[in-house]
Amino acid sequence: MLWFSSLTGQSTLVGAGGGVTAAKVRRGETENSCHNCCRQPRLCGAMMRKGVEAVLLLSLLFFTSHAKATRYSPPGKPALTRCRSPEKETFTCWWEPGSDGGLPTTYALYYRKENSETVYECPDYHTAGENSCFFNKNDTSIWVNYNITVVATNALGSTFSDPVDIDVVYIVKPNPPEKVTVSVMEDKGWPFLRVSWEPPHKADTRSGWITLIYELRVKLEGEDEWEMHLAGQQKMFNIFSLRSGGTYHVQVRCKPDHGFWSEWSSTSYIKVPDYFHREKSVWILITVFSAFIFLILTWLLHMNSHSLKHCILPPVPGPKIKGFDKQLLKNGKSEDVFSALVVSDFPPTTSSNYEDLLVEYLEVYIPEEQELTLEESKDLHDSCLKSEGSTSDNDSGRGSCDSHTLLMDKREAKEGERQTDQEESQTEAQRQQKDWDEEELTYTHEDMVSPDMSSGRVKTWPSVFSPLPQYTLSPLVQRSSLEMAKQHCLSDSLFPPSSTSSYLIQPGNSTKEALGPSHWDFSLSNKQPQLLHPESQAHSNINISSIGHKQTPVSLLTPALGRTEYVEVQRVNEEDMVLLQPIVCGEGCPQMRQAEDYSKVRGVDSDNMLLLQREVAKEEVDMCPYDDQEADGSTEGCYTSSDINTNQKPPACSYTATPVQDNRTLPASGYVDTATMFTLPTY
Amino acid sequence: MEQENEEATRKRSDDQQIRSKRKAMAHRRTSGSKLLMTVLYMVASCSAVPISDLLDRASQGSDKLHSLSTTLTQVLDSHFPPIGRVITPRPSTCHTSSLHTPNDKAQALQVSMGPAAQAISALPYRGGNDIGQDKISKLINFHFLMSCFRRDSHKIDSFLKVLRCRAAKMQPEMC
Repeated sequence: MLWFSSLTGQSTLVGAGGGVTAAKVRRGETENSCHNCCRQPRLCGAMMRKGVEAVLLLSLLFFTSHAKATRYSPPGKPALTRCRSPEKETFTCWWEPGSDGGLPTTYALYYRKENSETVYECPDYHTAGENSCFFNKNDTSIWVNYNITVVATNALGSTFSDPVDIDVVYIVKPNPPEKVTVSVMEDKGWPFLRVSWEPPHKADTRSGWITLIYELRVKLEGEDEWEMHLAGQQKMFNIFSLRSGGTYHVQVRCKPDHGFWSEWSSTSYIKVPDYFHREKSVWILITVFSAFIFLILTWLLHMNSHSLKHCILPPVPGPKIKGFDKQLLKNGKSEDVFSALVVSDFPPTTSSNYEDLLVEYLEVYIPEEQELTLEESKDLHDSCLKSEGSTSDNDSGRGSCDSHTLLMDKREAKEGERQTDQEESQTEAQRQQKDWDEEELTYTHEDMVSPDMSSGRVKTWPSVFSPLPQYTLSPLVQRSSLEMAKQHCLSDSLFPPSSTSSYLIQPGNSTKEALGPSHWDFSLSNKQPQLLHPESQAHSNINISSIGHKQTPVSLLTPALGRTEYVEVQRVNEEDMVLLQPIVCGEGCPQMRQAEDYSKVRGVDSDNMLLLQREVAKEEVDMCPYDDQEADGSTEGCYTSSDINTNQKPPACSYTATPVQDNRTLPASGYVDTATMFTLPTY
Repeated sequence: MEQENEEATRKRSDDQQIRSKRKAMAHRRTSGSKLLMTVLYMVASCSAVPISDLLDRASQGSDKLHSLSTTLTQVLDSHFPPIGRVITPRPSTCHTSSLHTPNDKAQALQVSMGPAAQAISALPYRGGNDIGQDKISKLINFHFLMSCFRRDSHKIDSFLKVLRCRAAKMQPEMC
């Protein structure tokens, strides 16, 4: 150290102004002398002093001679950058030169070992390249401190670098690993990379002189990040989790146990082949399966599309009006549409239906002895039989004659008479009642009525007939004296439960003899009390028992039964009873008058009116003006029951004033065709 | 009745005694065998450790030691004033420098169980008691001591690793 410092001091002194040669000489001298005086320090000092003086003279001379030349300077201070040993057997030192001062500069490296003062110069400047010094095996001692200095020298002077202390074992930096091989191998279907290498050939790892640990790095082609793997002392490494079809870059480096890392080896490229991912097969199976199921579902949907459509979008119901024609409506002609709605049989206006509807019939049984007494009453005024057996509603046509007040008047008049007859009639009624009960129940009216008005019937039955003895069964004389009620309406008010006057008129073969030429006459009028006759009472006692022997009334349903009896409604008494009287038909009653035929009982309306229906061949007319030629005061309009009940439909009580062949013109009064069986409907 | 009961109790006691005797004998047997077995195991386990493993473990220890010393030295160097470097005594003045240790590879490889290693291991690494009184001197001396220790630990580590490699002929991956 001290020796070096003295050298440098001298050289600086010289280098301040000295020329190159002088410096060189000085250096050489000092060097040469150094070799000598290193061994003999005393001589060294004296010689140094001499040299210094010589150099000063020479430098002054040189400097003055080249005073006006370009500025030259001694070289700058070099610096040792690094010293490395690759295998712990040799080492190399590199330095960085300073400025050369404009003059060619030489560099020299000097080193000194730990225990001696001997300064050695670098044995090899070239092996390791420019500005390097290579120490071979012979010059290298381990576990020994080296003191190394680099000196830059030019004509003007030399410059020493800072000394560096090194120990070879601490500066080991091996060469990178060699023979790096990368290969793709397979482990249970999964590929992996196997990287293998060898230590640098110079490093003696076999004897254990150097212990190396390795590190490798991997990256995919195109990426920036390396994946580091520390391999330890092994010379082989496996890399897993590869991307199929990718190219990998692999590099390896090594480091001694106490040293520096080597440089990375040259990159090794490896391409991983494409391999079929096991998991993908599962996904493929799943997709195939789901596609299959989807196909099945679509097929099912297609098959059941119709029913589904019905389920989701139910069809809109169309109109269900009878006679409704959509096309007509679309055409826009409303009249046609509505006319089409009018069904021929609605509303029921023809009387033909009534025959079907009416199952009722009036049965009147007249004992034979009464036959003669019965006469046809010619004075039957018109009575408008409202035989509208309106089954449709209770507001069937009532007899226009059936005004309540009128009935009341009649009733009052009869009261006195009735009492006398009641006793007889009661006994008779009892008998009759039995007979009634024995009958078959074809008389629906009876069926319907009997439970309700058993007592009523009892009551009424005699009451029906009670006036008869008063009037009815008398011959025509009586009749003529009869003041025919203006209304000969057979009102169904006779047949309410309260006061029923149900009776059956049953002409039939069986009863023929009973009835015989039964032209009986029921008079409704009570205004002739004087007509009461005892025999009328007897008449009144119509042998109802004979009714019991009747045949089945089924046969009676046929209108064309033998002889046709005609009964005429005389009036309605105050007790809402229809009093009938037979009509004498001389040369044969006009079967069916063209105009009117009140042979049918339409029904009984709620006001206890027996509605008789008039059959008209022709179309019906509301009003029924009648030609009352006989009745005296019975120019009564054929009041429809609508008088009483305005809601009534026009009864079929119109008639045309056709000339009647018969002499006696039948009044426009209804008559009951006994041949016709009808049952009185109850409501 | 009473006699029968007595006999029964006597029988029971006899049985119990026999059982206890048997148990004791069994215990003795087991204890003896156990002792023998433990001895055998110990003998076997001692020789079971291969030398390579031992050297491996030793070299690992020395490796760690050297690493520690290196770290310490570097830390101290950073704290060291530059002027102190000049004053630092040379490593040749380490107290262990008198020991003849190999200076190159050839020499190092030739040494197997030389006396140098033994000497190093036996020497207490104190470096004398004269560290110094003032802080600077203490620091310098300690620093010097650490540098000496660093070198010596490296020597030991290298030596052990050479030996390890030599012992692990069957396991080339060791070297």
